[in-house]
Amino acid sequence: MLIKRKSKKEPVSPNRVMLRRTTFVMIVCGIAAFLALGVRLFQIQILDHDMYEAAAVDQQLRETTVAAKRGTVYDRNMNILAMSATVYNIYISPAEMVMNDEDPSVIASGLSSILGVDYYTIYDKTQNKESWYSTVATKVDDETAELVRKFKEDGYQTVDDKGRPITKKIQGVKIEEASRRFYPYSSLACHVIGFVGADDYGLSGVEYYYNKTLAGTNGRIVRATNANGTDMLFTDFEDYYDAQDGQSVVLTIDETVQYYLEKHLQAAAEDYDLLNGAAGIVMDVKTGAILGMASLDGFDLNNYAAVGEKAQARADAALDEDTKNAILQEERAEQWRNKAISETYEPGSTFKIITLAMALESGAVTMDSNFYCGGSMNVIGRDTPLNCWNTGGHGDETLTQAVMNSCNIAFVNIGQRVGAERFYEYARAFGFFDKTGIDLTGESGSIWWSEDVFFDPDNLSQLAAASFGQTFTITPLQLITAVSAVANGGYLMTPYIVSEVINADGTVAEQHEPTVVRQVVSEETSRLCCEILEQVVGNPAGTGKNAYVAGYRIGGKTGTSENVVYEANTGTKQYITSFIGIAPADDPQVAVLVLLENPGPDSSTYVSGGQMAAPTVGGIMADILPVVGVEPEYSDDEAAFVDRTVPRVIGKTVAEAQAACIENGLECRVVGNGATVTSQLPRSGATVAADSEILLYCGVEPDTEPVVMIDLTALDYETARIRMGWSDLYIKGEGAMLGGSTLITKQSVATGTAVAPGTVVTVTLSDSSNLGRY
Amino acid sequence: MPANSQNAISYESTRLADYRYDDSIDRGSADVPLTLLTLLLLTIGVVMVLSASYARAYYTMEGNATYYFVRQALFALCGVGVMFVCSRFPMGFYRRASGMLMLISIVLLALVLVIGTVGNNARRWINLGFTTFQPSELTKIGVVMYFSLMICRAKDQMKTFRYGILPFAGILGVICVLLALEPHMSAIIIIVAVGLVLLFVGGVQLRWFIGGGLGLAALMGFAYAAFGYVRDRITAWQNPFLDASDTGYQIVQSLYSIGSGGLLGLGLGNSRQKYLYLPEEHNDYIFSIVCEELGFIGAILILALFALLIVRGYWIAMHARDKYSLLVGVGITTQLALQVLMNIAVCTNSIPCTGISLPLFSYGGTALLLQLAEIGILLSISRDIPEKT
Repeated sequence: MLIKRKSKKEPVSPNRVMLRRTTFVMIVCGIAAFLALGVRLFQIQILDHDMYEAAAVDQQLRETTVAAKRGTVYDRNMNILAMSATVYNIYISPAEMVMNDEDPSVIASGLSSILGVDYYTIYDKTQNKESWYSTVATKVDDETAELVRKFKEDGYQTVDDKGRPITKKIQGVKIEEASRRFYPYSSLACHVIGFVGADDYGLSGVEYYYNKTLAGTNGRIVRATNANGTDMLFTDFEDYYDAQDGQSVVLTIDETVQYYLEKHLQAAAEDYDLLNGAAGIVMDVKTGAILGMASLDGFDLNNYAAVGEKAQARADAALDEDTKNAILQEERAEQWRNKAISETYEPGSTFKIITLAMALESGAVTMDSNFYCGGSMNVIGRDTPLNCWNTGGHGDETLTQAVMNSCNIAFVNIGQRVGAERFYEYARAFGFFDKTGIDLTGESGSIWWSEDVFFDPDNLSQLAAASFGQTFTITPLQLITAVSAVANGGYLMTPYIVSEVINADGTVAEQHEPTVVRQVVSEETSRLCCEILEQVVGNPAGTGKNAYVAGYRIGGKTGTSENVVYEANTGTKQYITSFIGIAPADDPQVAVLVLLENPGPDSSTYVSGGQMAAPTVGGIMADILPVVGVEPEYSDDEAAFVDRTVPRVIGKTVAEAQAACIENGLECRVVGNGATVTSQLPRSGATVAADSEILLYCGVEPDTEPVVMIDLTALDYETARIRMGWSDLYIKGEGAMLGGSTLITKQSVATGTAVAPGTVVTVTLSDSSNLGRY
Repeated sequence: MPANSQNAISYESTRLADYRYDDSIDRGSADVPLTLLTLLLLTIGVVMVLSASYARAYYTMEGNATYYFVRQALFALCGVGVMFVCSRFPMGFYRRASGMLMLISIVLLALVLVIGTVGNNARRWINLGFTTFQPSELTKIGVVMYFSLMICRAKDQMKTFRYGILPFAGILGVICVLLALEPHMSAIIIIVAVGLVLLFVGGVQLRWFIGGGLGLAALMGFAYAAFGYVRDRITAWQNPFLDASDTGYQIVQSLYSIGSGGLLGLGLGNSRQKYLYLPEEHNDYIFSIVCEELGFIGAILILALFALLIVRGYWIAMHARDKYSLLVGVGITTQLALQVLMNIAVCTNSIPCTGISLPLFSYGGTALLLQLAEIGILLSISRDIPEKT
């Protein structure tokens, strides 16, 4: 009882062991462990804060790029050569389609019909349900994008989860702005302008070299997003970085000059069956600005991966896909190559201009120097005698005649008078040992003998060959730059292609000033050289007279060389015929260099610079000189010879009409008895040869009975005019209309064709009396 | 025979005495610091559930951003009521209920293996329709109360293997097997740890703990070898960045949250990691959001509040009127302490990942009700503390 009472009053109290052990547990679980966690938190939140924060921000922020508009490429007259237009990329977001419960088949069929993309291709993409971005079509135009937008908006009819009919707008299809590069002139100046890749990054030409300028800086939108990539709720964290649109560039290229350059190169390629294309440069000799630069074959900048027919045929003939791709790759690389700056070749006789200039400048020769060419000569270090292209020999020659004749023997002598060391000194001064530094990518360098070899006094064969442009290789651009220096008073310029950089708001950001590298020869030497070069073209005895254009004083030099690089690669002997011209010779404005590579068997023209490249340059000069502001000025001889424009005489009295014809250097014949002219042949405004007989019909109808075209080949211009007159036909001339010394090589209407009376046939004249590899 | 009889009477009288005492005496008032700490932490916890969950609720509950918050707040209100009610029950009541609670717990643990719903590859939940319920939560308090009772009954025999170790080991064994079948590693750890602490405080000789420690190590080794997911978690713990997108994902995201909080945090409501980056952000990883939004200072403050709560719990246990109350107090407090410590340790990648929720913070209705009920019991114990003279 007592025990019971006691236990009732005093329950079993915790003993000391329990209290001690509880205290221990309390210290461990209530204090020590919490302190440890506090330390751990300090480490993560304070010490490692930056690291974790950076990583967290990295995953929380999404960046969207705002594409900067790429700048425009203009020619010197602000014609647009390359421009960007807004296009659209269409992509789908299968993950959002799942979230919005959209029917993949409806989307696939809708997009397929709008975009013309295969239904199953799209459907397969919709099945990649984790994806947020799967491209369906790129660079579609505004109209197509509008159709897609409408398709999204209109949605489709379906039922919701409770079976009620609803119209479901489509969220899983997205439209993204992008830009596409357009080249309005397609293939014109394709190598200079270059093209951009799919990502709008310049891959060649100006597009590549000036990519940074043109591209501008893309803008960004930084947003905080949730793990699914959509915006965070209630957190309008967004940062904008504006896009900086690209600047535009103005090229020194003149679209018209470029057009004529390419036109004549193309004509040459067809006429001379060029197997390895052609290259041409038109340079402003005073500034080094490139007015035109072309390389054949060209390609369409809007479809730069497409190769020419021949190349495609070669690829299609490949047995397997790999070979085919390899061929296509090779062909593309070749068609994209800008030969004008990357081709290395032996310049041949065109280089004699440089030898001439250095000889005159150094005093090694004077205008009064005389040379003798016996057709061949011995050179120290050569086992065999060195031959002139004219093995018969040119006999006694003045300096001018040596150049006119393109005499190798004379030039070997000139080279020896200059001396190897001095020759190299000048070659270096003319920039032949360095790249020109043009603002284009892909420029090649030159290859010359080492000084040890070239300077060897016991072996002058290298110097001999170099004197007439052989045994070293240079680029066309190096040659035209050096020749421009000879022509412009001696100043070697840095060639350039971009004259201005324009800001997006139209203000000028940068202006290119012509850069003089150095003066290589004196103005006097320059003047003498131009005089001599004019004789090469303008003198009936000159080797370059096929480049003659009436009304213009053109100077120049032919060149024919073996295509050594091609030979090294293929083992086949081929020629490069070239011509470099300057005009006007008394105050040179432009230089034109043309290289025609590997004339093929389908050409009947004798393979030489004088026969092929000279008339091509002449044609280019005739077309471009008026464009660059050089008006023709006819000498008295030329004035008598130049083609005439037929005046309008209908309605005039016979006497008046006769007077008008005489005034225009034409003759006339009256048909019928009327007092006034009722009809005339040829029509007014037509160009015909001087002294052509105009038919004045007075009260009678012109004869319309067709007449048969006769063969004019190998006739001189006057004889051709007279013979054509017998059939009431007329001619006008093209090519080297140099007095009576050139003959017709081509007629625009084939022999035997029936033509109406009064037809004006264009004939091409050239001189082919003096054939040789000069 | 007399000796036997003596024992029986004595045993009976002790039982009788305890609840007669309980029932017959006027009780003091509940412990104010513990009540305030509880209400303070609960309030902060509910606010944090709102902050942490609204993004996920918005995305997954058709725009209802307060879905989790409203439910948690309701449970918190109910829970405070439950806590109050539990603090009113005399300790004798709990003592009498101990056995039944243990029995019910074990039955439910068996039942959940049959009718339970599966989540995270484990069958842990019984669906009650309006909410779900984890029998393991009930088991925790069941073990605390029943172990306390058994320790009181065993008295000095706690030092023997037969009375001090064997029955406890048997019960823990059964529970562990049932939990392992779910599987529910974290519950095993908590229950075994709480059981061991109770045995430790209850007077088991220390040498048994050396053996127990070895046994535990063996058990862990077994778990490591037997369960692939345990191995994965150990690997993920050691280097979470090795596979930050898969096995290490939760840990890495948790570290990003905590780390980006810095000293002062991004401000309440401004967590970015809760935008679907951090999984379980209103649940097991709610503390990471606390760290991100309230910074190191806020996190330390909350850590301190929890530490005070735990220390106060032990203080109440140590001042308990009787042995049973002390043991129950130690058990409950230890269980809460372990959950807090392990949860934060997981968030900070201090231990391998186990699914332990943070008491008073993590979203989950029944768990919150049970936690508040347990604190109610602690308060009930506090009411029996004799006033200082």
